[in-house]
Amino acid sequence: MYPRIAMSAHAIRKIRRAALHVCLPLLLAAGNTDAAPLGLALALNSADGTISLIDMDTYKVVGKAVACKEPHHLMPSPDDKSVIVACSASNQLVFFDPLTGKEQKRIRNISDPYQLGFSPDRKWFVSNSLRLDRVDLYDASDFTLKARLHAPRTPSHMAFDAASEYVFITLQESNEVMAINLKTLKKEWVMPVGPTPAGIVMTPDNRYLLVAIMGEGYVEVIDWKTQKTIKKVPTDTAAHNLHPRGDGRYYFVSNRSVSGGSISLLDTQTMTVVEKYDVPGGPDDMEVRADGKELWATARFGRRVQVVDLTTKTLKTSIPVGSSPHGVFFLNHAPRK
Amino acid sequence: MFQQFLDTFVIVQGWLLDHVVQPPLLALGLGSYLEVAFDGVEFFLYGVLQLSIAYLLLRPLEHFRPLEHWADRKAVRVDVLYTFLDRLGIVPLAVFALLSPLFMSLEGWLRFHDIIPPQLEDAFPSLESYPLFSFFVYLVILDFAEYWRHRLSHTLRWWWALHVIHHSQRQMSLWTDSRNHLLDDLIGGAWFALIALGIGVPPGHFVGLMVAVRIVENLSHVNARLSFGWLGERLLVSPRYHRWHHAVELPAGAQYRYGCNFAILFPVWDRLFGTQYLGEELPATGVQSTVLATPAHADHFWAQQKDGLAGLFRAVKATLGSERR
Repeated sequence: MYPRIAMSAHAIRKIRRAALHVCLPLLLAAGNTDAAPLGLALALNSADGTISLIDMDTYKVVGKAVACKEPHHLMPSPDDKSVIVACSASNQLVFFDPLTGKEQKRIRNISDPYQLGFSPDRKWFVSNSLRLDRVDLYDASDFTLKARLHAPRTPSHMAFDAASEYVFITLQESNEVMAINLKTLKKEWVMPVGPTPAGIVMTPDNRYLLVAIMGEGYVEVIDWKTQKTIKKVPTDTAAHNLHPRGDGRYYFVSNRSVSGGSISLLDTQTMTVVEKYDVPGGPDDMEVRADGKELWATARFGRRVQVVDLTTKTLKTSIPVGSSPHGVFFLNHAPRK
Repeated sequence: MFQQFLDTFVIVQGWLLDHVVQPPLLALGLGSYLEVAFDGVEFFLYGVLQLSIAYLLLRPLEHFRPLEHWADRKAVRVDVLYTFLDRLGIVPLAVFALLSPLFMSLEGWLRFHDIIPPQLEDAFPSLESYPLFSFFVYLVILDFAEYWRHRLSHTLRWWWALHVIHHSQRQMSLWTDSRNHLLDDLIGGAWFALIALGIGVPPGHFVGLMVAVRIVENLSHVNARLSFGWLGERLLVSPRYHRWHHAVELPAGAQYRYGCNFAILFPVWDRLFGTQYLGEELPATGVQSTVLATPAHADHFWAQQKDGLAGLFRAVKATLGSERR
């Protein structure tokens, strides 16, 4: 059953044209981005249960797909042929075509999926249930549940090591990071971090975990092998999420305040903040365009998707979407490194 | 225009979050509640909006088309206090704080053991494509549950001892809907959370809808001559329909022993379960009680809370006594 899509005829033509470019990723990889349309951006409206489909060339919302109850996070399938939306209140994963925004399939009885992640070796699919203090480990090939672990309290974001031996989870309410061994499928250790940890990523050299500490507005740098905090890098109020710029060195950090919201650029070699952009509305999840010219961020509390021009380092445009926009994705994205 | 309204709403909501709510939450290490707090601010603003709409629409009705003429509105003041506590989120916040850990633990345990409450959409997947229709179906289910909660609060002696506070108002007005004993509110919250758990939907999912529904509840208590017409009275609970629920003298008949017209939104439940009374007259409201009619009770929030607890204690004691015999 496909979702109801409301679009103008012009938008449909545009999307059909985009769909014809099945070789878009190849063209983009070759750097030929001038001629090809940029395609669609998908923004999850978690309170509305919908996905806003945004034309990346015109910055206009050209359609809306009905998703499910409380879709919070999304991630591409390993082959980039689908965007997987985690529907926490519907207990489903819904797959959408990133080129057209059309629904592909639903997997039911995935209990309260909130944050998702595939291990780098593509063997594991991990789902956090933030509301119910639980981490579920699925076989990524067929989404069968292999292990279920208590994770008190409020398991939020996740990161993997390069060898896919561990998944690291931030525990937002107990102010900890938990490491789950993907061989034994058991909790291996838990270490204390700053107040209200949210986003977590592994540095490209596989040495450090970077944890956004929302309670005090900094990024905590952790040597995960020794479980020691080696540095705290102040960013801004309510540091929430991290996203790679795509060059293997810099990470964007969203600081999720409403009026004073911002995005910092963190250099992982010097572990310092080198740039900061004003992004109002509570910037949350982010995506970077493949050519590195734009950073897109959902403004969680502002009902908008904010587009930052990375050349001028200013807010380029602000796109009204639905209520509580959370996850954002487009196929035309920079490498995840 | 709608986008302008939304933008203004979001600016006010964001300002309140940034300057009033976020600083203490972060200082207390409660940053993970920011998203809930944002929803709470939204609930508060919707409450302000809803109260403003109710006041601007219904108060003129009470003034120009009053059903009862009162010498003064002194007895109404306490109901205004109840309404502000309720609609602006103070009572709901307390109920949420008390019940949330309990229900989260219960749901967490169920889910950990792979017990996922069934949802309507599992049986009827096409509902997934029509969220508004799905929302309406859930509303009907919740209203059905509310009918039985309300009916039980009249039938069970101990519960009636609390719920009678809602009925002790003799000057029923647009403010009366929120006049409830705090323990009654807590039980109502638990009932709602249980139903939400049973149908597999988090209670927060319905907040926006419930705010809208409450304008209808304000309307059903209004002191004004207002008819919904023959059909309207059968489709939606009207002031006339609900006035019979608050009548001092209940209609004759065994089926009305504990009251009539228990429905909150849709009168069809009373029709189906034999508790509907469609009287043409407009009866006086209140309850026959010497205790609850005293000025000390009538005007004072804490006196009403105390009387409710005393009544509950007496009801439990009497029930236990009769069981022993």
